[in-house]
Amino acid sequence: MASDLSAPPVLSTPAEQTFDEDPSTQTARAERRTISDDELFEVYEIRRTASEIAERGWRRVALQFPDAMLPDGPRVLGLLEKELAKLPARPAARDDEVKEKPTQEHQQPLEMDLTTKSESAKAESRETRLYILADTSYSACCVDEIAAEHADAEGVIHYGRSCLSPTSRLPVIYVFTQQKLDYDAIVESFGKEFPEKDIKVVIMADVMFQQHVTFFCERLRDMGYTGVMGTEIVRDPAASIPNRKVILEEGSTEPNEQEEDAKPEVDLSACHLFHISTPPTSLLLTLSSRLASLRIYPTPDSPYSTTSDIIDPSSAPALLRRRYGLVVRFASASIIGILVNTLSVKNYLPTIALLKDQIAAAGKKSYTIVVGKLNPAKLANFAEMDGWVVVGCWESGLVESDGMYKPVITPFELALALAGDDKRIWDGSWWGGIEGVASQAESKAEKDAEEQAADRPEREAEDEIPQDVEGGVDEEESEPPEFDWRTGKLVSHSRPMRVAVRSAKKNDASTSPAEGDASKGGKEPSAALVQRKFGELATVNGVVSPGAEFLRSQRTWQGLGSDYNTTDDIEDEESTAVEEGRSGVARGYTVGEDLSRT
Amino acid sequence: MVNFTVDEVRKLMDKPSNVRNMSVIAHVDHGKSTLTDSLLAKCGIISSAKAGDARATDTRQDEQDRGITIKSTAISLYGELPQEEDIKDIQNQKTDGNGFLINLIDSPGHVDFSSEVTAALRVTDGALVVVDTVEGVCVQTETVLRQALSERIKPVVIINKVDRALLELQVSKEDLYQSFSRTIESVNVVISTYLDKSLGDLQVYPYKGTVAFGSGLHGWAFTVRQFATRYAKKFGVDRNKMMERLWGDNYFNPHTKKWTTKSSHEGKELERAFNQFILDPIFKIFSAVMNFKKEEVATLLSKLDLKLEAADKDKEGKQLLKAVMRTFLPAADSLMEMMILHLPSPVTAQKYRVETLYEGPQDDEAAIAIRDCDPKGPLMLYVSKMVPTSDKGRFYAFGRVFAGTVRSGLKVRIQGPNYVPGKKEDLFIKAIQRTVLMMGGKVDPIDDMPAGNIVGLVGIDQFLLKSGTLTTSDTAHNMKVMKFSVSPVVQRSVQVKNAQDLPKLVEGLKRLSKSDPCVLTSSNESGEHVVAGAGELHLEICLNDLENDHAGVPLIISDPVVGYRESIAGKSSMTALSKSPNKHNRIYMTAEPIDEELALAIEAGKISPREDFKTRARTLADDFGWDVTDARKIWCFGPDTQGPNLLVDQTKAVQYLNEIKDSVVSGFQWATRGGPVAEEPMRGVRWNIMDVTLHADAIHRGAGQIMPTTRRVLYASTLLSEPALQEPVFLVEIQVPEQAMGGVYGVLTRRRGHVFAEEQRPGTPLFTIKAYLPVMESFGFNADLRQGTGGQAFPQMVFDHWQVLPGGSPLDNTSKVGGIVQTIRKRKGLKIDVPDVSNYYDKL
Repeated sequence: MASDLSAPPVLSTPAEQTFDEDPSTQTARAERRTISDDELFEVYEIRRTASEIAERGWRRVALQFPDAMLPDGPRVLGLLEKELAKLPARPAARDDEVKEKPTQEHQQPLEMDLTTKSESAKAESRETRLYILADTSYSACCVDEIAAEHADAEGVIHYGRSCLSPTSRLPVIYVFTQQKLDYDAIVESFGKEFPEKDIKVVIMADVMFQQHVTFFCERLRDMGYTGVMGTEIVRDPAASIPNRKVILEEGSTEPNEQEEDAKPEVDLSACHLFHISTPPTSLLLTLSSRLASLRIYPTPDSPYSTTSDIIDPSSAPALLRRRYGLVVRFASASIIGILVNTLSVKNYLPTIALLKDQIAAAGKKSYTIVVGKLNPAKLANFAEMDGWVVVGCWESGLVESDGMYKPVITPFELALALAGDDKRIWDGSWWGGIEGVASQAESKAEKDAEEQAADRPEREAEDEIPQDVEGGVDEEESEPPEFDWRTGKLVSHSRPMRVAVRSAKKNDASTSPAEGDASKGGKEPSAALVQRKFGELATVNGVVSPGAEFLRSQRTWQGLGSDYNTTDDIEDEESTAVEEGRSGVARGYTVGEDLSRT
Repeated sequence: MVNFTVDEVRKLMDKPSNVRNMSVIAHVDHGKSTLTDSLLAKCGIISSAKAGDARATDTRQDEQDRGITIKSTAISLYGELPQEEDIKDIQNQKTDGNGFLINLIDSPGHVDFSSEVTAALRVTDGALVVVDTVEGVCVQTETVLRQALSERIKPVVIINKVDRALLELQVSKEDLYQSFSRTIESVNVVISTYLDKSLGDLQVYPYKGTVAFGSGLHGWAFTVRQFATRYAKKFGVDRNKMMERLWGDNYFNPHTKKWTTKSSHEGKELERAFNQFILDPIFKIFSAVMNFKKEEVATLLSKLDLKLEAADKDKEGKQLLKAVMRTFLPAADSLMEMMILHLPSPVTAQKYRVETLYEGPQDDEAAIAIRDCDPKGPLMLYVSKMVPTSDKGRFYAFGRVFAGTVRSGLKVRIQGPNYVPGKKEDLFIKAIQRTVLMMGGKVDPIDDMPAGNIVGLVGIDQFLLKSGTLTTSDTAHNMKVMKFSVSPVVQRSVQVKNAQDLPKLVEGLKRLSKSDPCVLTSSNESGEHVVAGAGELHLEICLNDLENDHAGVPLIISDPVVGYRESIAGKSSMTALSKSPNKHNRIYMTAEPIDEELALAIEAGKISPREDFKTRARTLADDFGWDVTDARKIWCFGPDTQGPNLLVDQTKAVQYLNEIKDSVVSGFQWATRGGPVAEEPMRGVRWNIMDVTLHADAIHRGAGQIMPTTRRVLYASTLLSEPALQEPVFLVEIQVPEQAMGGVYGVLTRRRGHVFAEEQRPGTPLFTIKAYLPVMESFGFNADLRQGTGGQAFPQMVFDHWQVLPGGSPLDNTSKVGGIVQTIRKRKGLKIDVPDVSNYYDKL
């Protein structure tokens, strides 16, 4: 029988096809016009970058480009090397500093031969080595420290637009790149949007166009717009306009600390915002509730940016409502996946710990999962999750994709979802990142404590339950079910861990007097057979595991052989004689005694 | 003063054979609440002077203001049969003493509140069907009667508003008799149409005493039996024989002094016995009183041996008529007698109702306890609805004890509608805080309540949404879920005016969902809170409650919208193929529409995923023309594992297929929940999995690869098979005088209505028009109709079926349907254009 088959049946796409180019992506790779060296020199701010590298004395530098700029990478690298060579040698004193670095390397062992590296480091001590990072692990807006550390870089130069999230390990030089702007067109568009001259408008630009803001503001003021305010970049994503500070007047660009305190905060909610170039959706959502209105001046396509759909700012309320829809549905989720979407944003580890605590406090189960760059297929592999919360930078925290099987929300939204129906207030404020989650949690905890204190007497009064009456059920009382907003029905499984905690306590209480010390010294599994009660949840090491319960109760296929239990629905299947199968390793299998490998 | 105490009631509860649980059901405005008043007056709950006007069971302010019942209200009454003779007449069931406990539920008649009727019927064993003499059997009479029969509830009938026939229409005796017998005839037609054979003959006959005639407003009513009792003595005949003679073609020949069945004697017309002996005295009283013939009234009174109360003597006209008739034929007495004699006690009823009530095997302890109505058995209690308490936000769980005894402090198992024996899902343990007796708007605390009674429970409202089973037996299955005749097809979304009020709205929505058996509150993908109700009126009442009571905050309420369903009109033009994200797996599918009948059967639960697959396959093959092998290979139903869409495995010898089944099913549930056209739920589609190729390594065919692919291929095959939108359609019944019919037709035509029946009610100028009207077009229909007919037409609308939205393809932006799709997509915050097939279909 087996010899008839010369080759295994084709059950899948041949492996070679994996390397075939997907025709769908080809269109995206539009023709790039050739750019002159001079232009590159200007756009990529080669001179400034080189001098900064030299000043900091970095020897190994990683260059991180967004996809749209990646084709320019090699030429930028070349120009940068040339420029660096022109610069005078660095002060030798810096050398020692660098050599002390290995302590840090020990913390993050990398796949790299340490001996060769130190040798090469000696050889290169005179010149700076530049590396281009080919792909980013999470998102282009964040500095990819892990990739940079693979190259053992001392610093990263990040090109293009950036979310400016604080990094945890490596120093970064941001090169936002200099883009051209057609002032006349933009002024005309501004005039169309804001005909009144005394209106309060904050001018904001994508970081790539930031250098134009001041000039643009001046020009507007010349035209008679009195309420125009510019912005400057500060590295503070948690600011009221993320990463920007409003400059109130000319000349006050560098206010010292005291002045700033004294100055009345600009009431942003009364201001309009004019944004140069299309903002990322998460920025749009964040700003839409903080300012009176948003206008966008879409910049023409440039070879330096990936084309993105121009978002209509008027769609922001609808988008926010959709987010609210996710949050409300999320409230009845029982198993939540914490999706780690960054390994470099500062404080991501404390945030994960915090989220875990929050989820546990709500009586739900959390699993922490890292999948690299996320896509629907990866997330759908974890079918037991009822929803995901993303720990990432504030721009990539917003995952809006059609194909997501389960809702993906941000830590800010998670706090709302867990708050419970009686406390959730959705006033349109929104935040995509992990900054501020801690403070939010703290203030909520305080509030909760207060409220609980206030609630308690009331609760107790309500719970005055008459003594047990004969003939009743001899089981512990259950927690009330939760309302599932998707179906409009009550669901009993939204807090799997809470039930567990309560019953575990009860078990402890009941066993401890009888068994005394034995129970204290860790739970020893009893040797006696215990009949599994109907409806008991699956446990792993004595702890209720909703994940295991899912696999046990929801899956019809539980591994090889399990389908034999269900064969009753296939009646025409006849039994066959047992045949000996193939054995061996993948290099070549043998069948039975026959030693020829196939 | 109430002339009975809670203690008396409690004592009667221990004698289930002397308990009658009954609901009053009828078409809107046929006089249920008014009739109920006379029963309440008899028991001293309201003064008899107020009876007829008070509508004491309409406990809500808006019920009183609008003059319609909105919520069903339960009240316990004490009744007596003073005559030993009468007790002997209780046939086929035992009785113990002459005191009776009557648990009565007054139900709403408006079609939008039909779900309240269903909830009331579940906990009762008998029904008093009220029919208007003039209007006869209307659409809602038929609906509620059908529901009663499907719950195995025994009906008795009262023909109400006889005073109108006499005073307004001035009909002759024979005409009135004919009208009565026609009405009874049509009631019996309905009964025999929906008859459950195991119940025996449930038709109603005046000569058996199961039909009463009367006027709720005036507080009088009679049965043939009552008159038979009077005349039996006079004629010296047996009462039962007399009863038969007083109805139908029986005549008393005054010349021969003999009974005959011929209508003439020697060429002379004989007067029908019913007319002669029953209607005649009534007609005489009417004409004497209304023509102000005081002396004649006095003689009549003395002849009938009636004594008016002093206060009534000075009255004139209608007031006097009321007083005289009320003394002559008190409504409460005849109704009480009819109910006690002919309606079953819980002991009798539960014997035959247990099959339709209990989901589990008919021989387990719970079923046996229900059958025997055993107060000592395991507790079986069905909560049919939630009644708001005076304590804001809390509810009484209102239900019936079918077995065992419920008492305060008892710890019970609360089994929600999705409970499956042996699983923890939807199962809660909770002690009942208090048990109460429902007395209209008020409650009386009571310590315990044995099987066969209707009860209110405090302290378990958080565990139940609308209904559920309470038991103490851990092997008990659920009581059957109620099937409503209405569906929540009209939606409105609500928003708070002030963001800080959101928690109140959310809490309010939850309470609203509890307070009404039918309303559905949920939140959709686009983040709107949606309230769905059976009709415009229902929704209006619900939202009113929400804004003023449950939430108590100002709201922004959207215009009503209709929930559509996505379906297909034809078979897939080609086999759809989608590849998994890693391109290593391929799924091939085709889609085809399923028969409307099958979709209905699935929605009605006649074909369900819970059934054994072999019996299901048999039914599908026999009744719906399916291929048996296909029918056996139904993988799942969707959305939410029970909807009217099917996934059928038609593959041959595909390796690893069992492994990916779970992922495919999840993808199927996901896709059917929101279709490709407008993210509306899908309906009436069958998908066939034609072939699947899978990667040989398990890691490359995980859920992540298969689930999204399944969704894509389902979408692709849908888009390849002439996608269509289905809209809900109301059945409208309009009663209208002939001269206003033109207006009705005009309004209907303007609104895409389609008249399919038109008939005249015999003996009246009234026409009944039946038509189908798309729900979308029904908004403002009432006002329009009022305008078009000068307020002479009264429509009743009830959801009837789904129909394909005519006017082109939903994919074509220029067509009417396409326009509707675009509005939906816009409202939901989706991309305006429907994604093209190429988004989901992969080339080989």
